[in-house]
Amino acid sequence: MPPTPANKRALAPKEAALFKELLTFYESRQLKNGVKTAEKILKKHPEHGETTCMKGLLLTHLGKREEGVELVKKGLRLDLTSHICWHVFGLIQKGEKDYEGTLKSYGQALKFDKENQNILRDAAHLQTQLRHFDSLVESRYILLRIRPNARSNWIALSVAYYLAENPKEALKVLEHYESILKNIPMFDLEYSETMLYHVRLLEELGEFSQALSTLDVNSKSRAILDRTTVMETRARLLSASSAPNAKDAWRAVIDHNPNCVDYYRGYLRSQGIDLENLTDESRAQALATLKDFSEMHPKASTPTRLALTLATGDDFRSLAQPYILSGLTRGIPSLYADIKPLYVDKQKQSAVESIVADALASFSPSQASSQASTSSDSGPDPTHYLWTLYFLAQHHSHQDPQKALDIIEKAIEHTPSLPELYTLKAKTLKRAGDLVGGVAAIETARDLDGQDRFLNTKSWKYWLRACGLGVYQDGVDRAGEIAGLFTKKDAPSPASDLEDMQSSLFLLEEAAAHRRCGKLGPALKKYNAIAKVFNDIEDDQFDFHGYSIRKFTVNIYLNTIKWEDQLRSHPAYVTAAIEASRIFVELHDDPSLASAAETTAQLTDAEKKAKKKAQKAAQKAKVQDDKKGSTQSSANEDKGLEPQTPKDDDPDGMKIATCSDPLERAAKFLAPLVPLVVAGHVSSRHAIDVLAAVYDVAVRRGKLLQAAKALTQAKKLDPDHPELHLRIVDFLHRTSSKPEAEADADADEVLTSFVSQIRTQDQSLDTLNSQYLQRFSTSAPAALAVATAQRILGSELQVVEGTIFSTVENPDIKRDWKANLRAFKLLTTLKSGRADEFRTRCDEQFPLSTVFKLKAETESILKNALQPTEEDEKPEVKE
Amino acid sequence: MNIRPARVDDLLGMQACNLQNLPENYTMKYYLYHALTWPSLSYVAEDDKGRIVGYILAKMEEESAEGEDTHGHVTSISVLRSYRRLGIAKKLMLQSQDAMASLYRASFVSLHVRKSNRAALGLYRDTLGFTVKDIEKKYYADGEDAYAMHLSLK
Repeated sequence: MPPTPANKRALAPKEAALFKELLTFYESRQLKNGVKTAEKILKKHPEHGETTCMKGLLLTHLGKREEGVELVKKGLRLDLTSHICWHVFGLIQKGEKDYEGTLKSYGQALKFDKENQNILRDAAHLQTQLRHFDSLVESRYILLRIRPNARSNWIALSVAYYLAENPKEALKVLEHYESILKNIPMFDLEYSETMLYHVRLLEELGEFSQALSTLDVNSKSRAILDRTTVMETRARLLSASSAPNAKDAWRAVIDHNPNCVDYYRGYLRSQGIDLENLTDESRAQALATLKDFSEMHPKASTPTRLALTLATGDDFRSLAQPYILSGLTRGIPSLYADIKPLYVDKQKQSAVESIVADALASFSPSQASSQASTSSDSGPDPTHYLWTLYFLAQHHSHQDPQKALDIIEKAIEHTPSLPELYTLKAKTLKRAGDLVGGVAAIETARDLDGQDRFLNTKSWKYWLRACGLGVYQDGVDRAGEIAGLFTKKDAPSPASDLEDMQSSLFLLEEAAAHRRCGKLGPALKKYNAIAKVFNDIEDDQFDFHGYSIRKFTVNIYLNTIKWEDQLRSHPAYVTAAIEASRIFVELHDDPSLASAAETTAQLTDAEKKAKKKAQKAAQKAKVQDDKKGSTQSSANEDKGLEPQTPKDDDPDGMKIATCSDPLERAAKFLAPLVPLVVAGHVSSRHAIDVLAAVYDVAVRRGKLLQAAKALTQAKKLDPDHPELHLRIVDFLHRTSSKPEAEADADADEVLTSFVSQIRTQDQSLDTLNSQYLQRFSTSAPAALAVATAQRILGSELQVVEGTIFSTVENPDIKRDWKANLRAFKLLTTLKSGRADEFRTRCDEQFPLSTVFKLKAETESILKNALQPTEEDEKPEVKE
Repeated sequence: MNIRPARVDDLLGMQACNLQNLPENYTMKYYLYHALTWPSLSYVAEDDKGRIVGYILAKMEEESAEGEDTHGHVTSISVLRSYRRLGIAKKLMLQSQDAMASLYRASFVSLHVRKSNRAALGLYRDTLGFTVKDIEKKYYADGEDAYAMHLSLK
């Protein structure tokens, strides 16, 4: 009779004892002893599955991953009905972040050991991570049944119900738990959190009065300890139930923190004041209330600032004047940024302008000297004059950059050592298209305060922004050197430290800089790095599924789960996904772009130097890595179950730029964004770009239904957006000239109805296109979309050029160098013979800008602009 | 200017503010750890557009030295250079201290500052009332010493 698995598993008494020892060694991470013990058992029972698995697990921990994993698999094959074997196999999968696989293995393990708490708990964490909330409830329920005495098992089940969108059941479990709690110590944070969670459940169920009484009872008895949360919740609940004493609750929380604008809004709303639709009466009431508050809290500017938003006419002026004067005399750098949102009201804008002009007159040095001659007083403080100039320059920088620059020069003459003047100069120049001058100005600011990382960050950002637009590839290296003044000295490079620190700002800027220089591979690598940052943040929550339950900090934990679900709506991820998918689409359409930058660009001396330096650094890093490797292999430490990150096998990004599946990679970037766009979590400024990118990828993959869905969604957001118009034309052109790619009849129907929605009968695409141009004849982005569409529809190059040239010829189109730069790029892509003519005209139209100059011209401008700094640095080099 | 308790969705903004402004940086996991362990101690200052321009990231010292009272610790506090002179740091600090005292019964709050960082030292000592308690040799990764500073909350 063949042995059954069960007796194959049985060990002789001596080995059975050893096996227990083996498990203890594993628990206490005595890895080497564990391996030795496993080997002793295997000598006598070489086919023992559980021991084989354990040995494999230990070896994996010791860093011998390949051998270890192989043994685990072998052990599992030897004993497919052992919960230990399945558990161990699951642990290996978990280390590889194969959470779905792990859960399946745990499911097998639980078949053979139904009430194994370790596995059940671990499974619950995985179920939460994967958002399998129904199974989570089951696991938590079993755990509670096994150990109802463990307090955390109760809260865990309640939280599971909450996550499964069953707050009623969550509340029931919680109430049951509270009813059996005994001997609650005074000042117990755990109980405080529990009761706040109770209030939260009631509030979310709409039981406001019950929530309120629970809150009141428990805060009075000091069971709930978090005062701020109590006050905020109380005010919110009273408002929600329209209680007359809501305003007292808001007043209490305002007294506690008079700098939070939400509290004032809450107070005013509780008075029946609708801030979005003010009447003369309610406006006066609101202003009177805010005045009282600002008298009560003279150090808080929040009530006055809110009053500035609400006030109109003379009220505004009389409130704004002291507010602005106080800001100017205190030298508050952010005063303009604070005031600017008020400019949506043109009357307020001109009121501010006249207030500041008056201030300038009274602070100006000439005024001071005339006063000094008549009295012995020392006259106005010169810094008041300076900060007023600083404000005025910002005030003019959008409409009249030259005027702004003149004011800045005056201020610099007055006080040459204030870094803010140079950061403002840099910003003004950059906005006007003088990216090279911007770099020079920001470098001056940085030189004035080398200890300040804020200025350092600005500086490398300006270098990167100018890359490909006046500064070339060596600008990326220069930016890295500057950033390196503040990054960790033991990091392989400044860029790698910033990547480790998950700086999306740096990664985004560097990626864009590479892209402008035509280096698509390196750009894609940085976008991938951003995707990794977000993957890591998503993974970060894993540990908290257990931790927060143990700590009972469930309220913030539940917020975290929600936040993680929307994590990728963050602008950094959205931008990375849009830009990366655009590059992948470009590479799909023209694979030669992958190597274009390498072969066509003439390397400057600086670039050659930089390249050599990079190669040297890479070599050094490799030597260090190898050294590390040799010391590591002799160590006896626990290396965990996660595979080591493989070495970068694509240092210059050539592999990714020449990959065979660019569209699939683009789709992967975009996939998490589609549901977030539909749910309205992605900012409107990005949503259309996401959908356009989804369309571009889908249509190239022959997924017409997906493409049509993206356009339908975009149409809901902004039916006249130029990028949408372009794609509608493209879509109709593709579907009319090609046989339907979708074989599915349902899809066919959806498509037909979609086409009929966006297109009036018998209207030719050319007409559709030209009608759009007529409707938006003063918009440069519209002209560019129409030009691209014309090209798709087969118009002659001459016609397309005419449309593009309208962006410099039509006086009604607002001048915007960024749009014209795109127009120039489009002409270049079309291999238009008039591209250089266009560039010259733009160069004339944007006299401050450097982006339309030839490479040699901008290089010499940059050299001249930076010369003083370089001279300063020379003596340091000699030392 | 809006000063309010930090939420989970502020953490990325706090991390960006920190990276832009200070040399001591942390990965997101560390911010999450603070928020999920001491959810009421961290505060942010945001501008009109909701951008984080200042923050205080704070915690409780879990394992106090023998005989030492429970105390709070400021892991990081920062206000963007362009938002200075508004008293933001002080406002953030006061809110956090209030929570440390009322919720965790902290008797004092501690923080570390680089010996060379005179601007920060001035802020902590002159504006916020901290005193230098000790010098911790080679506290920072690059070998620099730190001043250990204290402020009583009693």
